[in-house]
Amino acid sequence: MDRRYLLKNSLALGATMGFGGCAATPPPAPQQMPPAKPVSTVPFMDRVPPLALVRAHTDRLFDIKVCLRPFRTKGPNLDVEQIGDTMVVHNYGHGGSGWSLSWGSADMAVQKALSGSPKQIAVIGSGIIGLTSAITAQRAGAQVTIYTRELLPRTRSVRANGSWTPDSRISLAAEAPANFGDTWEKMARMSWKNLRPYLGRAGNPVAFCDHYRLSDTPPGQPVPVDPNIPPLPAPSWTGLPTQSADFGRYDDRIADLTPKPEVLTPDNNPFPVKYASRTSQMFFNFTEYGHLLTSEFFERGGKIVMRDFHSPSELAHLPEKVVINCPGFAARDWWKDKAMMPVRGQTGWLIPQPEVNYAMTYRNVQMLSKSDGIMVIALEYGDMKGYNNSDESVNRAEAERAVRVIEELNSRFKPT
Amino acid sequence: MRNKWILVLMACAAATGARAGTWDGVYTDAQAERGHAAYMQNCGRCHGADLSGTFEIPPLVGRFMPYWSGSSLDVLFDYISTAMPLGRPGSLSPATNADILAFILKSNNFPSGAKELSADGLKAIRFDAVKPAKPRTKKNAGSQ
Repeated sequence: MDRRYLLKNSLALGATMGFGGCAATPPPAPQQMPPAKPVSTVPFMDRVPPLALVRAHTDRLFDIKVCLRPFRTKGPNLDVEQIGDTMVVHNYGHGGSGWSLSWGSADMAVQKALSGSPKQIAVIGSGIIGLTSAITAQRAGAQVTIYTRELLPRTRSVRANGSWTPDSRISLAAEAPANFGDTWEKMARMSWKNLRPYLGRAGNPVAFCDHYRLSDTPPGQPVPVDPNIPPLPAPSWTGLPTQSADFGRYDDRIADLTPKPEVLTPDNNPFPVKYASRTSQMFFNFTEYGHLLTSEFFERGGKIVMRDFHSPSELAHLPEKVVINCPGFAARDWWKDKAMMPVRGQTGWLIPQPEVNYAMTYRNVQMLSKSDGIMVIALEYGDMKGYNNSDESVNRAEAERAVRVIEELNSRFKPT
Repeated sequence: MRNKWILVLMACAAATGARAGTWDGVYTDAQAERGHAAYMQNCGRCHGADLSGTFEIPPLVGRFMPYWSGSSLDVLFDYISTAMPLGRPGSLSPATNADILAFILKSNNFPSGAKELSADGLKAIRFDAVKPAKPRTKKNAGSQ
């Protein structure tokens, strides 16, 4: 028996089983070998590895989180304004891109805040934008106090998806400033560089995984919405957006950062669906990443004051005369910012399975395995889903429906 | 000398119209009852029947006090009027919001009084978390 033949066929068998394969398993004896199959032409390095399956059952949903994305139709507010003798540098309105753009946006805000060489800086809010702004200011030498009404894990940030999605609901294309694409690109690239040191650390604060996109219909065709899902309510706003295409898209500008989607040929597709492709997905493990950020803030001498603000004029009474304002969605009511629109988002969480190390999208449902749980999110209706909906109550039926899509898919795997 | 200053301060307060505070009975029990019903209909689903909130939804008792007290009642009223209920902000009438505010005050153990809380004039009512010490009268000031 040719040694290369054995290696190829044992790997092909592992891939066909879809799960449970292990490099330590001894190759089967020659007499037990199945009939020879056509040898895959997929390079060895690109074959889909054995995949563990999610135990997708609705009774394993142990948490459901609802957030309001702080979407701003004009794109994030990075303006500077004066309140009395206090300089306020805004840093809010990052929609579904806050975790991704935070470091780049913080860098821009801190550069403005440091223009007068202040020794002390106040940061309002301690979501992902507030924390990264505070640390960036500290790294630049400032003493920072965060004023906040909530701390991790109770900030809205932690109710997000937490993936690298840098242009997810970041603006309405028609309302963003003409140069926003340039600003966005600079922000995204700066964030990407700042996230790099968090890869490979204990607890995987930031990590990569394969993301499989599965479909019953050829790629590019719209995925029909499950008829059991209620239709979107009639728009409660006038004007844009009327469709997902109205949202600003900028990711072509940074296409060089991530691998191109790769179509899985039938001999390299372990999923029980006709069409599959694979990309790489960066994501954030909230618990460890949040812990690291908070620890660095304190290690650098940062202070936190628990308080709420009800009027911009209150900022003028703070001892710090330079403020980086990161209130997230609260800016709508606090600053009466009419460009702020809530976009409801809900994530369901299945009990963690460390052996599941990938993400998957199928029939408008996305699954992403994280260290603190397996996130399942319903994506039907695209970017219009949840627009101008500020209902933060849990919709369990939606979460269960999403889990059942994964459950049905996984029930079709046939171990060989 | 000190007594003279106290008298001057008291005269000034009388001249400007002494501001009421949340400890002076600024709502009625009947109003708080109406507010209770309106709260359960519009707010209780998120903030809970006992106003204690959830992991994600802020409570309207306890740590609610340091976050909202220290200014005048119109600040809280304006927030309720423009930002709440979260799913349909600004949809309740000023009278209903005043009733809900009365219920929140009652739930935080502020005393009721003989006059209803009105949406107008809330700027003149201090939101004191702690009952202020009684101003000293001429008699007890002199006895110290």
